[in-house]
Amino acid sequence: MTMNIRVAHLYGDLMNTYGDIGNILTLRFYAKQIGVEVTDQIVSLEDDFKADDFDFAVFGGGQDFEQMVVAKDLPNKKDEIIKFIEQNKPLIAVCGGYQMLGKYYVDASGRKLPGISAMNHYTEQQHEHRFIGNIEIQNEATGQKYHGFENHQGITFLGDDEHALGKVLKGYGNNGEDHTEGAVHKNTIGTYFHGPIMARNGNFSKQMMFEALENKYPDYDFTDLKAKVKPESY
Amino acid sequence: MTLRSELATLAGRSSYWFLHNFMGGGSSLPGKITTAIDPDVLQEIGKNYEVIIVSGTNGKTLTTALVVQVLKEKYDNIVTNKTGSNMVQGITSTFLEAKRPTKGKKGIAVLEVDEANVKPIVEKIKPKMFVLTNIFRDQLDRYGEIYTTYQKILDGIKLAPDAVVLANGDEPIFHSKELPNPQVYYGFSNEPAKGDMKAAPNTDGILCPVCQHLLHYHYIVYANLGDYFCPNCGFQRPDLRFKVTDVSERTPKDSKFAIDGNQYEIGVGGTYNIYNALAAYAVGREVGIQPDQIRHAFDNNQRLFGRQEEINVEGKDVSIILVKNPVGTNQVIDLLATEPDSFSFVGLLNAEYADGIDTSWIWDGEFERLPAMDIKQFETGGKRYKDITFRLKVAGVPDDKHTIQPDLGQVIEDIKHMPTQKVYILATYTAMMEMRARLMKQGYIKGGK
Repeated sequence: MTMNIRVAHLYGDLMNTYGDIGNILTLRFYAKQIGVEVTDQIVSLEDDFKADDFDFAVFGGGQDFEQMVVAKDLPNKKDEIIKFIEQNKPLIAVCGGYQMLGKYYVDASGRKLPGISAMNHYTEQQHEHRFIGNIEIQNEATGQKYHGFENHQGITFLGDDEHALGKVLKGYGNNGEDHTEGAVHKNTIGTYFHGPIMARNGNFSKQMMFEALENKYPDYDFTDLKAKVKPESY
Repeated sequence: MTLRSELATLAGRSSYWFLHNFMGGGSSLPGKITTAIDPDVLQEIGKNYEVIIVSGTNGKTLTTALVVQVLKEKYDNIVTNKTGSNMVQGITSTFLEAKRPTKGKKGIAVLEVDEANVKPIVEKIKPKMFVLTNIFRDQLDRYGEIYTTYQKILDGIKLAPDAVVLANGDEPIFHSKELPNPQVYYGFSNEPAKGDMKAAPNTDGILCPVCQHLLHYHYIVYANLGDYFCPNCGFQRPDLRFKVTDVSERTPKDSKFAIDGNQYEIGVGGTYNIYNALAAYAVGREVGIQPDQIRHAFDNNQRLFGRQEEINVEGKDVSIILVKNPVGTNQVIDLLATEPDSFSFVGLLNAEYADGIDTSWIWDGEFERLPAMDIKQFETGGKRYKDITFRLKVAGVPDDKHTIQPDLGQVIEDIKHMPTQKVYILATYTAMMEMRARLMKQGYIKGGK
């Protein structure tokens, strides 16, 4: 049996400011090591999103102008995105994508815009300051450390039914106050780690990939395949 | 000139003279000294010149050099900041080291200006013309988004409403805001305006500024540059006054093309360099220089391409090419695809302030095209060698052809033993500067800049 993972790149033509596509390329790299095929498709303004058509999704960061346009379109896809998340399918939402999955966010010009409440965090705006620089966090469940780069003006606070992706060891994280970074709800991860969080964190990629596979092929025993994947981190 | 400006200028000129003759430097310190004594000094010196400002994300240095080359056909003693010091102090230094214009006659100055420095410079000197190349996503940690970058340039243009804005008409953002200035556009018109396509997924700036629909294209030159139109509201590329009408040959070392029906050749590859030449042509034509004079100027351009020079290292033909953002990188990869011979590929990644401290952008480079080329050896290095190494692995570069060498000194040793005559080095800014310094020290590059 040839297994495959079908990836939706949500608004990939508008929300891909920080090399977010690196997540898809990295997923394909590891999938190839175990003979799993990865296909990807951009789902943008004029397209319908159907949860059943995909097994994995990436929702990247955008510039303010693009993010505003996406925010207007997002209600059209809201129900299916929530369905996708509630089916335990992995979704990685970076920066702007992370903010828009929450309850609301305040953009750089001070406008308060509704999110789609797929997750319960919310995002305020800090003034005259951005969180820019290298960041390191520790995932408390696995003990693994993740490395990345953050560059955001929004400050995000976690809500019910979600926990942080990790504890900040170095850098700012969600809001610079509570030492949390990112949010986890089911297999959906929101994060300020720029674009290629999966590229720089092989263990994280491996975990996300097998979540997608186990979700799609519940009867298959992945023990051998898991042993085959050699994650690289830097 | 006020006494204070007089004094400041004198201090600046003598410090330039001292640094230049005894220390072998002097690109921005004289400007610092002078500006400290009199912040308005630029205003005083600038009064004596007709100024052309070149700004945008990519191609500023080369466009500036080509504009100077073209203007030499008509003017003597053109002042320009050819070392690439493109912020306020560097530009002040440029004027200080220049020969003063003849009394009662205005000099001419062609200045490459950093996007964020257009406004502070126009506050001091009123240019006659702005030349705008493009706005691509570049070093987000320093400048922010493409729209804020363009706004920074606009804030400067607004202070000089009489100056002509000579802009790349293929770049949608340059047609997105109303300006009081006279506007002239240049662009590519070498294909029939018939198709209907969208830009590649990794491209920025593809939303209609009027109605926010996705822009479509009759054809795309590269990235988001081309003959764009909005199928929803009718917004479209403005009329072009100066056009590339044909591209007949492209190699890494040569481009043959026609502008407004006249044939030209430049001794350098890359479609982006044809844009740079087109911009210089447009400036020349605007000030009354004839097409055959411009051809003469381009024929003398061999020494201009400092960022893409060929260096002989123990018999190897080594080219170092600066890369700093996805669009530029993709254009360089496109240039490598025109190389007829087999070659070796070296990728050097640093993440210092001058490189941009975020390396995420490498994931938007089309490195996936490399494995299909006739590349015999790959080497990756620099301080962030792990990032670029993994990027190439993911792109499909086979491990048995790929060596990893963080130490740039050792990279030079390795190059001497690479299996091909030609070696292309793609390097970020500080990696390129360090490689140049090392090659100079070993005598492979002659002194000077």
